[in-house]
Amino acid sequence: MDSAPPIVRIAVLQPLEGLAASGAADTLAALGRIGAEVEFDVADTADACLRSGSREGVDLVVLDRCASHVSESVLQGLGDEGPPVVVVIDSDQAEAVALDAFRAGAADCVRIGRDYAEVMPVVALEQIRRWRQLRERTTARRRIAWLERLHDAMISEIPVSLMVLDGAGRVALVNPEFTRAFGASVEQVTGARFEQVFPTDFIESGGLRDLISRGQSSVQGAARLARHRAASGEPRIFDVRCRRLDEQGHVLLVLSDVSESEILAKRLLDLERYNENIIQSINSALLVVDTEGCITFVNPTAGEILAAEGGKLIGRQVGDWFDGHAEEGSLIARTLKEGVRFKGAETMITLDDGSVLPIGISCTPLLDDERQLRGAVAIFQDLSEIKQLQRQVLQTEKLASIGQLAAGVAHEINNPMGFIHANLYQMSEYLQDLQGYWEGAERLQTTVAAADWAAAQRACESLSRLAEEIDIDFVRGDFGKAVRESQEGSERIRHIVQDLKDFSHQDTAERMLADINQCVDSTASIVWTMMKHSVVLEKEYQDLPQIRCYPMQLKQVFMNLLVNAYQAVEERLGESCETGETGTIRIVTARVDGGVAISISDSGVGIAQDSLARIFDPFFTTKDVGVGTGLGLSTSYGIVQRHGGTMRVESEVGKGSTFEVWLPEGTQPAEVMRS
Amino acid sequence: MSGGAPSLLIVDDEARILAALRRCLRREGYDILTADSPLEAMRIMAERAVDMILSDQKMPGMSGMELLSEAARRCPGAVRILITGWTEAVPRDELEALGVKALIPKPWDDGELKLTLRRLLAEGP
Repeated sequence: MDSAPPIVRIAVLQPLEGLAASGAADTLAALGRIGAEVEFDVADTADACLRSGSREGVDLVVLDRCASHVSESVLQGLGDEGPPVVVVIDSDQAEAVALDAFRAGAADCVRIGRDYAEVMPVVALEQIRRWRQLRERTTARRRIAWLERLHDAMISEIPVSLMVLDGAGRVALVNPEFTRAFGASVEQVTGARFEQVFPTDFIESGGLRDLISRGQSSVQGAARLARHRAASGEPRIFDVRCRRLDEQGHVLLVLSDVSESEILAKRLLDLERYNENIIQSINSALLVVDTEGCITFVNPTAGEILAAEGGKLIGRQVGDWFDGHAEEGSLIARTLKEGVRFKGAETMITLDDGSVLPIGISCTPLLDDERQLRGAVAIFQDLSEIKQLQRQVLQTEKLASIGQLAAGVAHEINNPMGFIHANLYQMSEYLQDLQGYWEGAERLQTTVAAADWAAAQRACESLSRLAEEIDIDFVRGDFGKAVRESQEGSERIRHIVQDLKDFSHQDTAERMLADINQCVDSTASIVWTMMKHSVVLEKEYQDLPQIRCYPMQLKQVFMNLLVNAYQAVEERLGESCETGETGTIRIVTARVDGGVAISISDSGVGIAQDSLARIFDPFFTTKDVGVGTGLGLSTSYGIVQRHGGTMRVESEVGKGSTFEVWLPEGTQPAEVMRS
Repeated sequence: MSGGAPSLLIVDDEARILAALRRCLRREGYDILTADSPLEAMRIMAERAVDMILSDQKMPGMSGMELLSEAARRCPGAVRILITGWTEAVPRDELEALGVKALIPKPWDDGELKLTLRRLLAEGP
């Protein structure tokens, strides 16, 4: 009994009435000898036995000497599908009971007798073996049926087209998805050659003939992309895989529609190319650095501007160019350190050859999906040409201002010129008079030396006459006065010319520390020459810190504001009927909000509300043709902005205007945003 | 010109100009009066008649043109002359309308100035 399974489960029914306890023990003892470990589940009623007999894994049910109706009810209850039932019969009623039991479905009957202990285990084991065989077969059948259902479900539900071809290349099977995707019914395609089923462009683009013949001869699968244009005109792209199924050359074709993903991939590629094109062709330079400030990407424009020695940019430190132009560190370094964004800032870079270039730069932190800093992106532009243009515009503006100053300047120069000129003329007359006097004095000297006293007497008289004639006392006093006054006049002219020279001077490329009070005051002194007759100038200067700036540009701003103020006052006075009236211009400087504020107020005509909105627009002017360029205030505004400052105006028609310029103490980029 | 030396009023807010003109015309035989402001000039004209006025154009409170037009009223017998460092800024037609006889530029030529004054004084207003 070597084939016996390790554990055998047997349900036993042993009703208590009519059964000797010793008999019950006999059955269990006999069953215990089947050669395996046996687990008994002994019941004493039909219901209990039915319950235990219906449990999973029960190998055998033994009805030990039960009444016929009890045995029948258990047999009926277990039915055909249940485990085998062996009925143990008392010897007295053997024949009839056994027949009833078989009729009711018992697998076998065993009679109590002398050989019971030997027969029972053999019968039980035989029944258990058969039952187990049956159970295995049933399980296998069920499994096959399940697999068939799974297979059918998969083939019909899978959103992939499936086709089986026989060794001759004829369609043996297609799934519903195939008929849907290729618009053909099962009847149409079954038995047809695949060339008749697929569109020609599809077969050719995918190299299907080759794919199928290789599939037929090799177990190894292979894949291709095949495409065709659907009736709707849309391109369809399939991933086609081919695999041999059997020795007869049946192959399975798996066709997945990848049109969507292909189209998406193509779009993505197009987009990438598009972005790449933009990055490569924009005029702005673009560079990307990692968190260490190491360059990881540059576009061609950045390459041109940075002009690295040997052309190698990737991997170099961005600080090689950008450091050393701001005490707070370069904007890129600050973006990496503080995660801030800069927009439209101006700064300098140092090239490998040591030259310095002005640039405009915007810098953004590069964040990943978790919003962790991964580096920074900087977009910048070479501003040298723009700066050059700006300087030219500034210079033009300056010349225009000087033009407006010309009247005042001419007056201021021509006055001293007038008296110097006249004094020189007069001094030459004095000199001529004195020449005669000196000659008379020489004559006197000669006659005295010759001790010719009569001649000396005459010479002396003539000298006295001459002295009276030329008013020598006056000349003696006035000559020196005329010289001193002329010297003073020439000094005044020198001063004015120096002021003008200073004003028309161009700035250096780099910012420098300057005293704003001094900038305002020196500018005011130039403008003062033209306005002193009609304007009272009030100044109120607070002690200010030095500011890193372009002083000449700021002087230009102050000049524009002062000239405007003066012209507004003049206009007001021109309107007024009163003579002898003067206007007021007031200059106030103060420390305000971490910077310095310079306000210039006038008691002029004021600015109309509709003009006020456009006052900083280029070419906007309310002045007569030839008087203003319309660039003064817009240029000034630009200058102040480049210094990171602001400019405001308040005005009331008939009362006057106040322009206020505010400049930050530190060199601030134009715009900083915390991100 | 009521006998004696003809009187000449020179008006300029610039003392150095007054001194230089006085120097220049010292021996021309004029009774030279100077005023360093239009107001001072008005005071002088209120006190006495003058034969000739030589005024600067650009002065605080009142321009030379205004002063000369006032002078035409207050002192009709006076020959009026304007002197300026910025002749371009003076409208000639207004000058003529006001009856101003000459426009002398700064800087001026002493000899020419002397001749001009002599001629204009002889011509009269």
